[in-house]
Amino acid sequence: MIKTVELKKIFSGRGQEVRAVDGVTSHIASGEVVVVIGPSGSGKSTYLRCLNGLETLSSGSIVIDGTDLADRKTDLNKVRREVGMVFQQFNLFPHKTVLENIILAQQVVRKRNRSDAEDKARQLLKKVGIAEKESVYPGHLSGGQQQRVAIARALAMDPKIMLFDEPTSALDPEMVGEVLDVMKQLAREGMTMVVVTHEMGFAREVADRVIFMDQGKLVEEGTPEHFFTEPREERAKAFLKQVL
Amino acid sequence: MMGAGLWVATKKIDYTWRWKRVPQYFFYNAETMHNAPFDSRVAQIDNLGDTTRVILISEDDEKLSFEVDSPTLNVSVDEELFEDDHLGSTFQWRAGPLVVGLWNTLWISAAASIMGLIIGVITGLCRVSKNPTLRDLSVTYVEIFRGTPLLVQLFIFYFFLGTVLDIDRFVAGICALAIFAGAYVGEIIRAGIQSIPKGQMEAARSLGMNVPQAMIYIILPQAFKRTLPPLAGQFISLIKDSSLVSVIAINDLTKSGREVITSTFATFEIWFIVALLYLILTFTLSQVIAWVERRLAVSD
Repeated sequence: MIKTVELKKIFSGRGQEVRAVDGVTSHIASGEVVVVIGPSGSGKSTYLRCLNGLETLSSGSIVIDGTDLADRKTDLNKVRREVGMVFQQFNLFPHKTVLENIILAQQVVRKRNRSDAEDKARQLLKKVGIAEKESVYPGHLSGGQQQRVAIARALAMDPKIMLFDEPTSALDPEMVGEVLDVMKQLAREGMTMVVVTHEMGFAREVADRVIFMDQGKLVEEGTPEHFFTEPREERAKAFLKQVL
Repeated sequence: MMGAGLWVATKKIDYTWRWKRVPQYFFYNAETMHNAPFDSRVAQIDNLGDTTRVILISEDDEKLSFEVDSPTLNVSVDEELFEDDHLGSTFQWRAGPLVVGLWNTLWISAAASIMGLIIGVITGLCRVSKNPTLRDLSVTYVEIFRGTPLLVQLFIFYFFLGTVLDIDRFVAGICALAIFAGAYVGEIIRAGIQSIPKGQMEAARSLGMNVPQAMIYIILPQAFKRTLPPLAGQFISLIKDSSLVSVIAINDLTKSGREVITSTFATFEIWFIVALLYLILTFTLSQVIAWVERRLAVSD
């Protein structure tokens, strides 16, 4: 489903060069739930953002469903329709109601008519458990509710892959659970998911595979049982000692 | 205290206030004189109440009928008339110079505002675009038109472009105002666009929208809301700046005021009135914008 080969993303500015992602090779299969963990600044968010073309690659390649993102002829907008993304800061559109947030892209990008889009939106709002908030503006919702709307908004595009960029990091602790529950449900339904998170519990429970990144490099990957009980690499051991 | 001081001061210079002469420059009852077009005889006079119909018969038996206001009737039945003899008059309310000037100022400012907004949005978008040519062009435009006086721009538009390209003075005036305002609006819009968090664009793009779609549906509506207060200021400035078009002989409020003063010598009164009329325009505009702001605030 997603194949990345020797992926590199180098930020350069003011004479400094930051190798945010430094040669990551990985293959994510359809229906797989991959959790990316690592210390902050390890390049895991940048890696995720590369996967839907929010960052341009410095070198290497990403092939999603047979489409090469690095190819100049590739229409990135078409790829992005199939790849949903959920952000740390929710990024809901504050000038639109919850319902409008979810129908806008369906109408503009998927060219669905309004009533179909509304039906889809209501159905998804029910799924994430906030059907009653459809005519509220995002500013009046709690963080957890906003993040669930953001998930519904991404799902409305019928994506084949969902990317989560630290979806619970900006939430108050008591709201983390409600968002993780929605994600767990998605995982059970067989959605292909790549999740960057600090929620080790989620990784252990839901992930099919854990990827540990440090300083832009993929340091270790494996099943959660393997990774959390007997990691091979020293850096992974040190990291786990700190977070567990 | 200040009012009393001013009153004493005006007394001292023997200024006679003539407020009574002001209203006629808003609306006046215009008299149209009806005269006999040729040598003729008054054949018939019918009193129709407020008006009276006069029927003339010429030497060649040609009949002609006039209606005049009854009190002004100046002829009687069978009277022999020479060409241009006065039959009577009719009266009609007409807009005076101040109303005409106000109306001109209003539509010149409105047209310039709309054009200025369009130019400004385009400039603002070019300013944040990735294309260096567009960016440099918009920077140059802003620097040139923000850095030279509007009065000079008006002269250039009217005397140079107006002559070379044969444009009407109104078109020249409106274009100069719009292009001048566009430079400021462009910078306001740019600031507005840049104030929207990057995540908004990323969220829109991640849903598969292209840049124009994201701009139209996501960024610009939010930027517009944030830039309303400075935009209001800019358009209020534009209304006031429109008084400069009087130098290229456009009959705006300021020029009308000056004309009225030359015929009344009521200098003080007219300038107070003109200032008040501008204030009414700008105050109405700021109220309208405040209303729009309240409407948009529902999502806060």
